[in-house]
Amino acid sequence: MNKRNLNAISLSFLPIIVIIPISINILENLHLGGINLVSEFLVSALLPKLNSDILISLISRINETIFIALTSWFLSIIFGIFFGLLSSDIFYEIINLPLVLGRLIKLFLILIRSIHELVWGLLLMQIYGINISVGIISICIPYVAINAKVINEQLENIDPKVINSILEINGNKFSSLITLVWHPILTTLQNFGFYRLECALRSTAILGLFGLGGLGTSIYLSFKALSFRELWTYLWSLGILIIFSKFIIKHAFLKNFNSKLRVIIFIGSLILSICSLFYFFNFLSNPSYFFNYSLKNLYDLKNNFISYSLIKLIYETILLSLFATSIAVSLPPFLSIIFNNRLGNLLMNGLAFCFRLIPPPITILILIMFNEPSISLAALSLGLHNAGITFKLLNSNLNNLERSQFLALNSIGAPKRISWLYGLFAKQAKSYLAYCSYRSDVLIRETAIVGVVGSIGLGWQLQESISSFAWEEVSIVLLAYSLIVIIGEIINDKIKKNFI
Amino acid sequence: MRKPILELKNISFSSQKSCILKNINFKIYRGDKIALLGKNGAGKTTLISILNGTLKYSSGDYKVFDKNFFELNMKQKKLIGTFWQDLRLIEDFSAEQNVNCGLLGKKNFIFALKNLLNISSFKKAHECMKILDLKESIFTKNIKNISGGQRQKIAIARTLIQQPDILFADEPFNNLDPNFIIHLKDILINKKIINKLKIPETILISIHRIDLLDSFNRVLALKDGGIIIDLKKENLKDYHLNKIY
Repeated sequence: MNKRNLNAISLSFLPIIVIIPISINILENLHLGGINLVSEFLVSALLPKLNSDILISLISRINETIFIALTSWFLSIIFGIFFGLLSSDIFYEIINLPLVLGRLIKLFLILIRSIHELVWGLLLMQIYGINISVGIISICIPYVAINAKVINEQLENIDPKVINSILEINGNKFSSLITLVWHPILTTLQNFGFYRLECALRSTAILGLFGLGGLGTSIYLSFKALSFRELWTYLWSLGILIIFSKFIIKHAFLKNFNSKLRVIIFIGSLILSICSLFYFFNFLSNPSYFFNYSLKNLYDLKNNFISYSLIKLIYETILLSLFATSIAVSLPPFLSIIFNNRLGNLLMNGLAFCFRLIPPPITILILIMFNEPSISLAALSLGLHNAGITFKLLNSNLNNLERSQFLALNSIGAPKRISWLYGLFAKQAKSYLAYCSYRSDVLIRETAIVGVVGSIGLGWQLQESISSFAWEEVSIVLLAYSLIVIIGEIINDKIKKNFI
Repeated sequence: MRKPILELKNISFSSQKSCILKNINFKIYRGDKIALLGKNGAGKTTLISILNGTLKYSSGDYKVFDKNFFELNMKQKKLIGTFWQDLRLIEDFSAEQNVNCGLLGKKNFIFALKNLLNISSFKKAHECMKILDLKESIFTKNIKNISGGQRQKIAIARTLIQQPDILFADEPFNNLDPNFIIHLKDILINKKIINKLKIPETILISIHRIDLLDSFNRVLALKDGGIIIDLKKENLKDYHLNKIY
C-alpha cells in the first residue's frame, strides 16, 4: 500500500483542531463576572485618555522606552556581529585558530539565547534592583545571541570558491576576513537587523510590565487600576512608536550614505559600543548588597524540588508551546479561507494588528477577567499574539505572489476559496511553514512570559523561586527551560530543512 | 642548464567530485607561455587547482622555486595569480571594489577597510579596467548588474592587478567577443599593452580554441587524467590535436 505523507497545505490547516480542547476548557472555566470589564476594555480602545497629566507621563515613558530599546538594539547588533563572526567557521579557517573555540562560543550562545529576555530581566532585577541598565542588559543578552546566530548562518553560506579566490591573493588575514564577511553582515543587518528594533520595542514594553520602566510599566499600572482609557493611550502610543520606528528605518537607515558619513557611523559605532561595554561591565560587577547576602544561601536549600512538580511544570510548558504554536500556525490560513473577501481581509488585518500590539501578558490578564488561569488560556493569548505576526507575513507574501494560477482556476469556474487555496496558498505553504517553525522557536521562549502572569509552567515557578531567592530552584528551572528551548530548536531546524 | 621555477613529479589526484589525475610530470620554466588543452572534464581545472594550491594532491611531489608548494612563504605565494573560469567575484561589491581586492596581498588592513567603505583610491583599479576595455560607467556599478562578459573582464583585472610572476588561467578567452580575445591575447601573451602594469612572465592558460595557439610557445594536453602531449608549439602537428579531441 502506498504511504501518503501530509503535505504543506494540510500541515498548515490541521493544527487548528487544538481549538476544540482549548474552547471546551475555556467554556468550562467561564464566569461572566468580568464580562462588563472586558466590554469596557474594548470600548476604551476608541476613547483613549488624552489629558495633560497623561501626556506628560506619556512623553517621559516614551523617552524611557526609546532609550532602552534603541540602546539594547544598537548594542545587540554590534556584539551580535562580533559573536556571529567568532562562532563562524570562516573566522577559524582564515585566522588559523582551533575550530573548537568557535564551537564553544556557539554552545554558549545557544544557552544564553534559550532564556527569554524577561527571565534575564527578572533575574537581573533581583540582583541589581530596578534600573534602566538592567532593562538594556536583559534585552541585549538573548538578542546578541539571536543576531549572532543569524549572522553566523549567513557567513556559513559564503561560497567556498569565493573564499579560496580571496585567500589565494595572500593578503593580510584580517584584510581577507573583513573583505569576505562585510557584505553578508551588511545584508543581514538590512534584512533582519533593523527589524530587531521593532522586537526591542516590544521586549522593552514587556519588561516594563514587570517594573523596568517605559510604556510597559504605565500599561501595567493603568491595567491594575482598571483605567482602560489610560491603558489604551499607552497601547496606541506603543503601536505608533513601532510603526514610526519602521518608517524611520525604511527612509533613513536603508538609504546610501555618503562616504564621510559612512566613516563617521563606523567609527562612532565602534567608540560607542566599546564605551558601553566598559560601562555595563562596571555595572554588572557591583551587585546589590541584598544579593550578596542572599547568594550566601545558594545551595543551602534542601528540598525535593526535582520531583513530580518539576516534571508536571515541564509537561505544562511543552503543552503550552504546542497549543500556542498550533494556533499561531493554522489560525491565519484558516481565517483567511473563511473570510475570503475584501471586508474580511480588512477586518483580519485590524485584528492581527491589535493582537500584535497587545503584549501577551496583558491579553492573559484580560482573559482572566472572565476565566480561570489555565494552559488553554495561556496558549490562547500567546497563540493569538503570534498569529498576528504570522498573519502579517502570510498576507504580505500572498499579496506579492503572481496570481496567474489563481485567475486560471477562477476562470474555469472554481469557487473563490478553492482558487485561493490551490492558486495562491499552495505556492506559499512551504515557506509559510518554514517561517512558522522559526516563529515556534521564539514562541517556546515566550512561554516564560505568559507562564509568569498566568501561573502556568516553568515561567510561574521561575518567578516564585527568584522572588524567594531560592537559587537552587532557579538553576534547575533555568536548566529545564533551556533544555526545552534547545530541543525545540533542534526539532524546528529539522522541520525547516524539510520545507526550504 | 635552465632551472625550472615549478616542477610536478608523479602528481596524482583522486576525489569523488573531481576528475582523477594520474602521474602528472612536467616542469615550467621562466618565460613559458603554456596552452593547456583537453576535452571537457579532462582535468584542466583540477590541474590548475593543484598548481595554485587550492587542491591538495593525493601523491607525488610539487615544487615551486625549489621548495615544496606548501612550504612557500607568503612573499613567494604572492607571486602566483589565478584566474578562474567561474570568476569567483564577490557579489554585492562594485566592479572597482572587486578589482581592488586583487591588491589585498600588497596593502594593509586599513586599505581593505577603506575599500569596503568605498573611500579608498581606485586609481590603479581604474587603470587596470581601462586596459581591459571596461567603460568608466561600470566602475561603480554593482557586480550583479553587469553582463557576463564584463564580469569576466573584471575578474581578469582583479588577477592582473595582483601583478603575479606566474599566472594560471582557466579558460579566460571563453564568452568574450572576438576583438577583445585578440586584445587580451596581446596583453597576456604578446605583452603589447603594459602601461605601468607588470604582466606575468610565465603563464599557463587552459583553452579550447586551437586558433589561439599561435601566440604560445608550449602546449600541454590532458587526456584521461594523464599528460599526453608536452611539446614546443612549433613541433605541434595536426595528428597531435586529433589525439586530444
